[in-house]
Amino acid sequence: MAEGSHPPRRSAAARGRLRWGAIRAWLACLLLGLTLAASASARAEVQELRQARAVITADGATELTTVSLPYHWDRQHHGSPGTGTFEVPFSLPGEPDIPYALYVLRLGNAYEVWLNGTLLQRNGDLTRVNGADYAKAPRYIEVPPQLLQRQNLFRIIIRADGGRRGGLARLLVGPDTEVQEYYARDFRWQVAGSLAVVVLSSLVGMVALMLWLTQSDPTQAGWRKRDSLYLYAGLAELAWALRVADKLIENPPVSWLWWSPLMAVCASCWICSMTMFCIKVAGWDEQGRLRRCKTGLGLFFLAGLFVGAASQYWQSPALLTAYYILASAWCMPFALIYMALAARSGARRAHVLVAVVLLANVAIGLRDLLVFRLSDSFGDNSWLRYSSMLFGLTLGYIALTRFRAASAQARDLMANLSARVAQKEAELAHSYQKLEQLAREQERASERTRILRDMHDGVGSHISTAIRQLQSGRASSDAVLLTLRDSLDQLKLSIDAINLPTGDVTALLANLRYRLEPRFAASDIELQWDVDLLEPVQRLDANAMRQLQFMVFEALSNVLQHAQASVLRIEARAAGAGVVLRTIDNGRGFDVTAPLRKGLSSMRERAQVIGARLHMHSAPGRTVVEIHLD
Amino acid sequence: MTAWRVLIVEDDPVMREFFAASVSRSPRLALAASLGTMGEALAWLGDPSNAVDVLLTDLGLPDGSGLDVIRHATRLHPACEPLVISMFGDEDNVLASIEAGALGYIHKDSTPDDIAHTVLEMKAGASPISPMIARRVLFKYRSLQAARPRAPASEPAQPAGQDAGSGTAQAVRSLLSGREQDVLELIARGFSYQEIARLQSVSVHTVQTHIKNLYSKLAVHSKNEAVFEATRLGLLPRHG
Repeated sequence: MAEGSHPPRRSAAARGRLRWGAIRAWLACLLLGLTLAASASARAEVQELRQARAVITADGATELTTVSLPYHWDRQHHGSPGTGTFEVPFSLPGEPDIPYALYVLRLGNAYEVWLNGTLLQRNGDLTRVNGADYAKAPRYIEVPPQLLQRQNLFRIIIRADGGRRGGLARLLVGPDTEVQEYYARDFRWQVAGSLAVVVLSSLVGMVALMLWLTQSDPTQAGWRKRDSLYLYAGLAELAWALRVADKLIENPPVSWLWWSPLMAVCASCWICSMTMFCIKVAGWDEQGRLRRCKTGLGLFFLAGLFVGAASQYWQSPALLTAYYILASAWCMPFALIYMALAARSGARRAHVLVAVVLLANVAIGLRDLLVFRLSDSFGDNSWLRYSSMLFGLTLGYIALTRFRAASAQARDLMANLSARVAQKEAELAHSYQKLEQLAREQERASERTRILRDMHDGVGSHISTAIRQLQSGRASSDAVLLTLRDSLDQLKLSIDAINLPTGDVTALLANLRYRLEPRFAASDIELQWDVDLLEPVQRLDANAMRQLQFMVFEALSNVLQHAQASVLRIEARAAGAGVVLRTIDNGRGFDVTAPLRKGLSSMRERAQVIGARLHMHSAPGRTVVEIHLD
Repeated sequence: MTAWRVLIVEDDPVMREFFAASVSRSPRLALAASLGTMGEALAWLGDPSNAVDVLLTDLGLPDGSGLDVIRHATRLHPACEPLVISMFGDEDNVLASIEAGALGYIHKDSTPDDIAHTVLEMKAGASPISPMIARRVLFKYRSLQAARPRAPASEPAQPAGQDAGSGTAQAVRSLLSGREQDVLELIARGFSYQEIARLQSVSVHTVQTHIKNLYSKLAVHSKNEAVFEATRLGLLPRHG
């Protein structure tokens, strides 16, 4: 956007140039243009020197000639190196008493500046071809007023290397404050601006590479995990940063033979990577075509390497020019197609943005190609350097929108997730509730069964017995009373069974004793209590406890009603993991092999139900009922 | 020797008559009154001209719970010793009665002699206890004992509960002496008072006294526990 200086002079031609310059400056920068316009009259003394007598030595020949400035060495000598001595006379109305200065937009590649036989400045070695390149930055040289006379002569000696844009731009001489303005403006656009581009591009490039390294898609495998969009953008930006940094490097770390091709490679790397970036943004990921694209770009990139090397080796800038023309030749249609597709409805916003930036860059690239490679313009500034920054901006936009989308997605996911978790929890709670309900129902059912059996075997049977006894009229009231007491005892035992700790045989026996105590007291039987503190028997559930209670009750009832015993011993011992219960009485005994009484058969049945072993041994004077619980 | 004055509260008229007759038969007992509802009982107890030594009350009264009659009687007549008339002597009802202040229970199917005997035994210092109830008391005591040591550490930021809480802890600590605990364990294992007396080398009377003391402690403890709960819930103002 910035351009070479076009200083004013009092001549008509110079005024024309001044206007042209002012317009271009305005186009470039409105503010700067206004400043220039405001100070135009004050710069009347600044002179632009465009004619020189020159002694040019190139290709072994020396000629004396008159040249007009700027003198673009490569255009005159087609890549051959050489030296030139330019004599530029100028006159002043009088000897000035203020400091003067000389400003040259571009000179070199090495140079010496003399005024009236005095050396003002020297940069580089005039004899060392392909030495350091001092032609890259604009030069501002202070001129002490005491050196100036009415008639003066600048003698400028340059060394120009082939293909390195050596030569001499127009000279601007005048009061230092005014000359400084031209220098400052060009310095800003060419040097400071380049530095800013280098810094920003490096930064964007590194961030992009960092994104490429850190942002991975876990659903993909291998390299596909990473988003190559960031890789291409990063490579492009870093290559570009190095390419632009060249503007600031006068003495490269390696010889020009390596450095110049490297710069060509940077440029082609930028072009190729940016193309891939554009393709990625547009989402043209169709495999076959993408591979062809990559192959083409790879070849083009390699070509850049060779052309850069060849151009340096044979000192033939035309080769590079051809290479850049080739780049334009495919970039132009690519940009147009890209734009056309972006213009279709449904294209992504990033695609459209990149299309605009791409088109602008291709157009500006064409302009730069014309200015630097094809026209005679000398010392002009590159616009592409700045327009390339637009890619960095689009990358920022893409990264931001992606992160916004990702965080929105994450929020959605979280909301979704918690909703699903809540739903699962509800389902779980529901099924748990159902399970619990089922368990409760089952519990109720088994409880009902137990109560019904209790009523049937216990209270019910006793009451019906009592009724039969009363109906027959033969039973004594004591017999009926006994039946009813039995019935109530059974009822109490069945209520106690509800609270019996499962498996606790000691508690079961203690309770039985407590309930039957009045009967023992009434029957004059001595009770010997030999019950150990037993560990609960794990396998006895509530139902088994009730069955066992029945069995022991039955055994004790037999002793109370039929045995006519005087001593009853109740024993409980641990036996392995189980328990052995014994009731031993000294009564008359009974025949354990004879058809069993109802009570005894009921005991055997119950023992079978709970898996207990029942042993009965009876002889007059000693009857043992033994219940093994394993 | 004067006879103990007995108040009977029982809604079933036949039962009431039976108990009244059983009491009247004993020369050492005198029937003070025999009533059928809680309302009547509370009114009778509230009359300062009435005196009572023993309360026999059913739990399921038509207009309320016998537990309230027990609480009322022990509050208005500190000398009155309540007994609960229970059909089964089942542990839930008996424990609730003990905690309300009852000192024993009488089965509905007891013989008239048994009834008088039980009342007189109680007045002489003996309270009946079943192995099941002994087991329950032990269990409750042990779980309280296990829970208590943690309480002061977990509740320092709750001064509201601390006074009442430490009071409860005090009550638990003094709830059972070592000897009382031994007696309870033997009862839970089915041993009779005589067997326990022999095993412990004490008199039967001492064993009986342990049990009766235990009854009073359980009532006091349950009262403390109620105060603690009420304070914790903010129903009672904090003291101290």
